[in-house]
Parts: sequence; structure tokens; C-alpha cells
Amino acid sequence: MTQPIYVYAVTMCLLTACSSSAQQAGRADPQQTPKVSHINPDAGLVADFKKRVDEYVKLREKAVAALPAELQEKSKPAEINAAEKTLAQKVREARPAAKPGDIFTPATQASFRRLLTPPLTKGPDAAENKATIKDDAPAAKEVPFKVNAEYPKEVPLSTVPPDVLLTLPALPKDVEYRFAGKHLLLFDVKANIIVDFMLNAIP
Amino acid sequence: MRTLQLRLTVLALASTLAIGVAAQELTVPNKPKDTLKFAVIGDSGTGDSNQYRLAKVFTDLYGRFPYEFVLMMGDNMYGGESTRDFQRKFEIPYKPVLDKNIKFYASLGNHDSPNQRMYKLFNMNGERYYTFRPKPGVRFFALDSNYMDRTQLQWLEKELSASGSDWKIMYFHHPIYSSGGRHGSDTALRDQLEPLFLKHGVDVVIAGHEHFYERLKPQKGIHYFISGGAGKIRKGDVGGEFTEKAFDTGYHFMIFEIEGDKMHFQAISDQAKTVDSGVIERRRVDDKAAPSVPAAPSVKPVPSQDKPNTSTAKPTAKPQGVR
Repeated sequence: MTQPIYVYAVTMCLLTACSSSAQQAGRADPQQTPKVSHINPDAGLVADFKKRVDEYVKLREKAVAALPAELQEKSKPAEINAAEKTLAQKVREARPAAKPGDIFTPATQASFRRLLTPPLTKGPDAAENKATIKDDAPAAKEVPFKVNAEYPKEVPLSTVPPDVLLTLPALPKDVEYRFAGKHLLLFDVKANIIVDFMLNAIP
Repeated sequence: MRTLQLRLTVLALASTLAIGVAAQELTVPNKPKDTLKFAVIGDSGTGDSNQYRLAKVFTDLYGRFPYEFVLMMGDNMYGGESTRDFQRKFEIPYKPVLDKNIKFYASLGNHDSPNQRMYKLFNMNGERYYTFRPKPGVRFFALDSNYMDRTQLQWLEKELSASGSDWKIMYFHHPIYSSGGRHGSDTALRDQLEPLFLKHGVDVVIAGHEHFYERLKPQKGIHYFISGGAGKIRKGDVGGEFTEKAFDTGYHFMIFEIEGDKMHFQAISDQAKTVDSGVIERRRVDDKAAPSVPAAPSVKPVPSQDKPNTSTAKPTAKPQGVR
């Protein structure tokens, strides 16, 4: 009685082993491997965004280099303001056809909205982050939503929470993200102008 | 311009007559040498009579307590930033000490254009954040809390790593601990900065933004001050579980004197009254190496002869981080 049971058990083990090894062989077959993408869907968009920003910075630095020497070495309020205004004018002349969406392209905007969702709606500090932006940010009506427009000096710049800055692509020196109402600005600190903007960025 | 200066001079004179030249009791040692003396003003740049009244007390005090420099906690310039604004909100009220070549080291508040970094009298050398070492053994770090990006955090880590056993004093606009009802603790900023402060043994953190004075209970061994009432005040806004001492019924500034491992501090009101004072004992290097263990508070209050109404503090405690 014990022998048939033993034979049955050995047979089952062999069948299981064969099946398992067939499955392993199947896994090794690339034809049968389910395709899992490890590519960040936003990576290409981020690279494209950075390239566009870098192109803007090159243009801006060219304008800076063309400034008269007295506007490059500045330390008094009148000199600082004059340098900003002259530089802003040079930048406008260098990109006369600039329009909204040149840098925040529609695809970049979609990507940024995805990136901004965790720090502003899901994380432990989401409410705090939103409150920080709301607390300091100017109302939308206080800021001109116009590419190359001067940022009004009497209007405070929003504070941007570290969580947001660590999520969005890093920017070169003197180009910053700022908020006005629910909208995101790309702000040139040196020229005090709005480089581009993205409406309804805050989810 | 002349009309403006005349009006402001009359304003300053009127402020002086209103409060008289009160003899301020100094609780700091005020030693003639071998100490480091400095002052702190925060949220000052309104250009109104309140700023001028406090500035008068502040600049008068220099005659008795010659502070070597002044730290600015941000909101240095509310509203416009024309030449006239810089004069009205900074150069004229602090002229008596600017004329004595006392340096002001500014940090940026949310009301400040980042290009204030270019303004020579703010001594920022064109940088939004910077560090300086006015004498051996003491190092200051001015941060831009409006825009704490990767680059700034990496810079801070590098500079802190290189700062050795100096006193490490941070100052920036947004408080990471605060009992303020209007703003409160910036916990997101705290998440980024506090680990670095603990890792590298920061001793003291001074902030503004809240329009009151608050000395907080030491947090994980670090001493925190809020000094944001040199141009604006918000009455009835301060008080909670973090509060060790608060003052929100008048304008104020602070003075400090570092003497070896001791830091003496004193907060002074626009009525030339002492609203808080004490001594911070510096933690030993061994203590700093174990930051996860909260150090016992090491502030010795200095009794003041003046006992002003120090606060309209709210009695209810708030949980950490809740605005």
C-alpha cells in the first residue's frame, strides 16, 4: 500500500519540477517577457524644458555682456534699477517673438502638473506647502501675465516651498519659479521680467 | 529730496520727544574688548513713524553699546524699491550708525526683491545667501528662506562641514519654529534645514517674518529667536507650547554679545525697555556629536529692572507645526 503512494509522490515531485523549470525557461525567453518600461515618462520633457531654459539663459547672458560697464558693476538702488530695466529691454529685443508656452510647452505643462501633485496634494506637508505659497504669493491680478513683462516691484514674490523646488527641474542661477495666485511663473531675477508662465499650475 | 529729508527729520525728532531719551539698562556685559557685539532688526522696512521711533532707540543705544554690525531678518523693504524707498526705509532711519561705518548684513524676506543682494549697504556681495566670520570662532550664515533650492542646500551643507568648532549662527526670514497664529512654524522648511543644523551643531537660529518677539524653548538643543518687530507688530498673535518668552505689544530689536562660550542677549522695545534677556551657554563639541538627544535648555534669564507688559500671549498651546 505504501509503495503506490511513494511512486505517486515521486511522480508529482518530478512533474512539479519539470513544470517549474519550464516556467523558468519561459521567463528567460525575451519573446514571452511582459514589457515593463523603466523609462520616466517625464524625463524627456524635463530635458527639453532644461534645454529651452538654457537657451534663454545664453540669450540673457549675451545681453548682460552687452550692457555698459557702469550697469554691470552696480551697488546703488538707482544703478540696480537702471541695470534691471536696461537688461530687460535688451532681452525683449533679443526675443521679440517670444510667446507664452515657448518654454512651458503644453507637454511640459502636463508634466509639471504631474510633478506638482505629490508635494501639493499628497505628501505630509502638502497642506503646509500650499499654505506657504498662498500666504506669500500675490494675487493673480497683481502680476501681468505677459512674456517679457516687468515684475512689479511693489508686489512681493511668492515663497516657493523646498518640497516644490526639490521636485521641479533645477534651474540655472537667477532664473526662478514663482507663483502668482494658482499660476506658475518663470522669473528672471537679473532682468526682473517674466520669462514664461503656466496657468493653473497648482492642483 | 530735501523736503523728504526734512519731513523725516521732523518725524524722528517728534518720536524722540514722545518717548524721551530713556536710559536703557544693559544686561549684556558690554565689555570694551574680547567680545563680539552685534544687533538684530527684523521686518523693519516700512518707512513709517514706528520704524523711525524704534530706529532712534536703536541708534541711540550705539553710544552705550557699540555693536560692530547689524543682522537684518528680511522684509527690509516693504512696497517699492526706488532710490527714495531705500532712503526712507533704510538709509535715513539708520543714518547715525551707517555714518559710523557699522555694517548691516541683510537676509531676504518675502517682501524683498532678490536684487537687494546688489545693494552695497546690505553687504550681501551679490549673493542671496552667504556666510561670514567676523572674528575667529564665530560664523554667521544668512540664508534665503524664500527659495530653498538644491543649490542652496548643497552650499549650506558644504559651508557647515567646513565651519569646524565655531559658534554657528543661522539667520533667515521664515521661522522653522514659531508660536505665531498668522504664520506659525514652517515645517516644510524645517524638514530640509533641521537635519543639517543638528548634524553640524548649529547653536542659534534667528528669524523674522512674524511681527513679534519670541524666544522659543530650545528645540533639540538649538536656541531659536524670532525678531520680526522692527517695523511692524501683530498683537495677540504669539504664544504656545514653544514659547519661552514673547513680546508683541510694541516694536523691538535685539542686541547680542558673545564672550567665549557664552552668548548674552537682550531684546529692547521702542519704549527703550528690556523685554527679555539672558545668557546662552554654548554646547560642548561632545554634545553636538549626539544631536538626537535633546539637550536641556541652557538659558539663564537675566532679571530686568523694567517689567513691561511682555505679551498678549494666548493661553492655548498648539501642537507642533500647526499654523
